[in-house]
Amino acid sequence: MKRFWKIGAAVLAMAMIASACADGEEDEGIDLIYVTPGPIGINPFLALGEVGTERAAERLGGTSKTFESNLDTASQRSNIEAAIDEAPDVIVLTTFTLLEMADEFSKANPDQKFILIDACPDDPAPNLHCGVFREHEGAYLLGIMAGRLSETGQIGSVVALDIPFFKRWWQSFELGAASVNASVENSVVFIGGENAFADPARAKELALSLSAQGPDHIFAVGAGSNGGVFEAAGEADFLAYGVDINECPTAPGRVVDNNLKLVDALVDQLVEKVINGEAGPVESFGLAEGGTGVMALHPDLASSECVIADHPDIIAEVEAAAEGIIDGSIVVPDPLFG
Amino acid sequence: MFDQLFDGALVDSVMRAMIPILLAALGGMICDRAGVFQISLEGMMLAGAFAAVAGSYLAAASGLGVLFAVVAGAAVSLVLAFGAVSRKGDPIVLGIAVNLLMLGMTGFLLPQIFGVRGVFAHPRIDGLDRFAIPGLSDIPLLGPALFDNTIIAYLSLPLTAALWVFLFRTPMGLRLRGVGERPQAAESLGVSPTVYKYWAVVSSGVLAGLAGAQLALGNVVQFAENMSSGRGWIAVVAVMLGRAHPVGVLGASLLFAFSEGLGFRLQGNGLPVQITDALPFAVTLIALIAARKRFARLLDLTTAG
Repeated sequence: MKRFWKIGAAVLAMAMIASACADGEEDEGIDLIYVTPGPIGINPFLALGEVGTERAAERLGGTSKTFESNLDTASQRSNIEAAIDEAPDVIVLTTFTLLEMADEFSKANPDQKFILIDACPDDPAPNLHCGVFREHEGAYLLGIMAGRLSETGQIGSVVALDIPFFKRWWQSFELGAASVNASVENSVVFIGGENAFADPARAKELALSLSAQGPDHIFAVGAGSNGGVFEAAGEADFLAYGVDINECPTAPGRVVDNNLKLVDALVDQLVEKVINGEAGPVESFGLAEGGTGVMALHPDLASSECVIADHPDIIAEVEAAAEGIIDGSIVVPDPLFG
Repeated sequence: MFDQLFDGALVDSVMRAMIPILLAALGGMICDRAGVFQISLEGMMLAGAFAAVAGSYLAAASGLGVLFAVVAGAAVSLVLAFGAVSRKGDPIVLGIAVNLLMLGMTGFLLPQIFGVRGVFAHPRIDGLDRFAIPGLSDIPLLGPALFDNTIIAYLSLPLTAALWVFLFRTPMGLRLRGVGERPQAAESLGVSPTVYKYWAVVSSGVLAGLAGAQLALGNVVQFAENMSSGRGWIAVVAVMLGRAHPVGVLGASLLFAFSEGLGFRLQGNGLPVQITDALPFAVTLIALIAARKRFARLLDLTTAG
């Protein structure tokens, strides 16, 4: 019983300290904390998250901090806890890696607003706002490039898993190609196996065997397996397309373009919406919001090392299609809900 | 249809898939013959792949990568050797522990050393060159796969033959088999089971390390987390299926590699991935049932001994 009181007193004391801290921060302007799942290092995805958080803070007249985790759950957890202790206006979390923690901490701290990027729990708490990408819009634009550039009239996709989610990539790629070349044929192969997202050897074999059947433009939708497809592109003389970030520099001259996730634009806009209380539980970002895109329409195209930079005529066509998608004259159906 | 399925590219692809499995399985075979059940091939292969990429990156030379891989494989194997041979621990428990340890350790070291997560690819990583043997590499179908390949690939087939000679035609091979089948009898003749078992386990580490080097510097030139992706487990099955005999192990490895390569091709021809994915495992299952007699015999031996 004595022990119980001791613990109770300690908890009470800690609660008082915590609330005292929260009371102390009565400054003007908003504050944001960005918690990464791992070291930013050379990870462009995480780096863009920081850029977006800083930009939002600057634009809305506030400050931002970044808590960089190591790649273990203990440091992720303590960083999120530290962020909650500071009680900022919004805590920004990224990627699937933090999905479970985002769910857990948002439910345990109903007064703290959270943003989770590129993932969403099934039943998000009201104070958790997810920012997701409309990947199919970017994939459609890549399809236009492949449809125009393919000499064999055959294109292909090497996709991590045969699950509906990935249709956003390969089906939209096919649709985009068909929009400029009705007779184009698309073949899809799936990496599968034990380790679909990080088995470059398997992805390479699949890409080689796919290209042997005719496709000369192959969309690599395999995250960590993509390197294998790009290696195959060098050996079997086909051109590839990447995902998420600009993958062109990893295989210069072999990657046409990428289905980009522009994390910075997403974070910037979603933070504003959350601060203004306009954000829904799940907000999607596509071409119109600048959340998804392709290097062809990106300001850094010239230094991107992407093959598409050598084809200004196709870039013009892609630009026109992007405008069509934004103004609604071209509808790219979401394969997940179509 | 068939000429579209079976061509030089398929043979090449099968060869690439086979070499890592074969090398690891040959290591597993030596252990099996020495009476150590070796299931840490997967972990040692992964360690070899990581070390190969690390060495090749540091020196910008694939030779050092291969050396690193061999040393890493051997070092990891010593954990099993010490635990299972010196300390008489359960090789299955130890083997699983080694596999998990290597998966975690390479995943941990990747960001610590190279500052990246998941995949490490860099122009400085020097891949294994393919050496074409003039004339022979022009043979249709088999030429490019057999005579235009990496040094590790060239090594693997003669090594299979050499191990057959070693096991069945040399006194040392006889002693190794004796240690595995009747350790007490071997000991009574002055053959130390501990020494033979140690060498067997370390050889399997060297071979699995080489398998990893071929995977990470030959098949592709990069490291990805858990990139061995079950190939070491396939090798374990190849040892069982091949009845720990060099010819059988070669045949089993070839069978797995062929079913995988063919699976990739069939997927391109419209067969669902769920079926082609299951192909190597369906083959495993059928092969295991076919090899049941061998297990019955092993069981008799262990219960009788």
